[in-house]
Amino acid sequence: MPVEKTSSLIKRSVFIENQVLRQILGVCSTLAVTNAMTNSLVMGLGVTFATMLSSFTLSLMRNYIPHRIRMIVQTLVIASYVILVDIVIRAYLPGVSKQLGPYVGLIITNCIVMGRAEAYAQKNPPLPSLLDGLFSGLGYMMILLMVSFIRELLGFGTLFGIRILPDSFEKWTIMVMPPAAFFIIGSMIWFLNARKLKREAAKEDTRK
Amino acid sequence: MKRGYVYTIVFMFLVSAVFTLFLAGTNVLMAPRIADNARFEEQQSLLNALNLDDQGTTEEIDQRFKDFVKPVEGGEFLYYQSVDSSGAVQGYAVPFTGAGLWGTIRGWLAVNPELNELQGIVFTEQNETPGLGGRIMEDWFKEQFRGLKLEAGQAVAYGEAGSQKIDAISGATQTSNAIIRIINQVKNEVLPKVEVK
Repeated sequence: MPVEKTSSLIKRSVFIENQVLRQILGVCSTLAVTNAMTNSLVMGLGVTFATMLSSFTLSLMRNYIPHRIRMIVQTLVIASYVILVDIVIRAYLPGVSKQLGPYVGLIITNCIVMGRAEAYAQKNPPLPSLLDGLFSGLGYMMILLMVSFIRELLGFGTLFGIRILPDSFEKWTIMVMPPAAFFIIGSMIWFLNARKLKREAAKEDTRK
Repeated sequence: MKRGYVYTIVFMFLVSAVFTLFLAGTNVLMAPRIADNARFEEQQSLLNALNLDDQGTTEEIDQRFKDFVKPVEGGEFLYYQSVDSSGAVQGYAVPFTGAGLWGTIRGWLAVNPELNELQGIVFTEQNETPGLGGRIMEDWFKEQFRGLKLEAGQAVAYGEAGSQKIDAISGATQTSNAIIRIINQVKNEVLPKVEVK
């Protein structure tokens, strides 16, 4: 199988196959951490780091992993990197670690990490796997930041904890709660699907 | 590719060993730093509760804590007293644990030496709804308890209290009530156990 070009890999993993909006993966954490941009950024970086390194490592090992235990090995490798992220955050960013609480451990069960390992890393060489993990993670982070931008601005009147809207602004309590992310992500998916359908319809028309 | 059972088992064993060693190593390297962070946080919380300056670098906090906060051991539980430069007791900080809306709320509650006035309250652990109950961590909420009179036989409540006004958090009634319940519980059950010197 020929290895795809880096530019098309980036376009594919960030936009065309965006993990959250197109593959509907990693939604649980998207709902949970997107009420503050700082948390979203750290979560995004954590997932990107874990996806990138676990894809790379699993790709290096891909010819030696017995097929029937590959998922156990994937989980082991992913869990190791996530625990590593957790330890490093606790040591160097204790404030963030406290805010993220149990979510860091939940990176292990984030479907994106294992999804990339299953769908890409086990069939491709290490370097493209690393890039695939990196850009899939960045695509996830992009959506997280977009959602948290809306939620933090309307829910707290701040961005990255810095006050943007005046104190007199009536805060939208719903934005702080998980359902807000449902509405925002739902609307984004709706928008993308509608656009895709329209394009396909236009293509059909020209063909006729 | 078909491989035997022995290969599979040996492979899994080796992979597990390598990654476990790697993680154990990192953990050992980072453990002192993490312990330092936890101690720093605890010291900062106690200074804040006792209405002392809690800003500064790790060393400054550590020094100030050693100078002005002393543990009181030997009682039923460990609590702290703050002293001024001559050694006179300025206040007591007792730990508390109580039920919030979603989980346990832990923290420190500080009172003056006569045990009839709140010096401050801090929360070190909570799982309340972020942005609603979670706002108990914000300064405006904690600061309004400073100087609150604790009168015997009269429960602490939200609203006007002497010259003060204590506000609950709108949208977080359960958590707000939990905090008042915890304060009253500490006042009735924990403070009588503090030995006033």
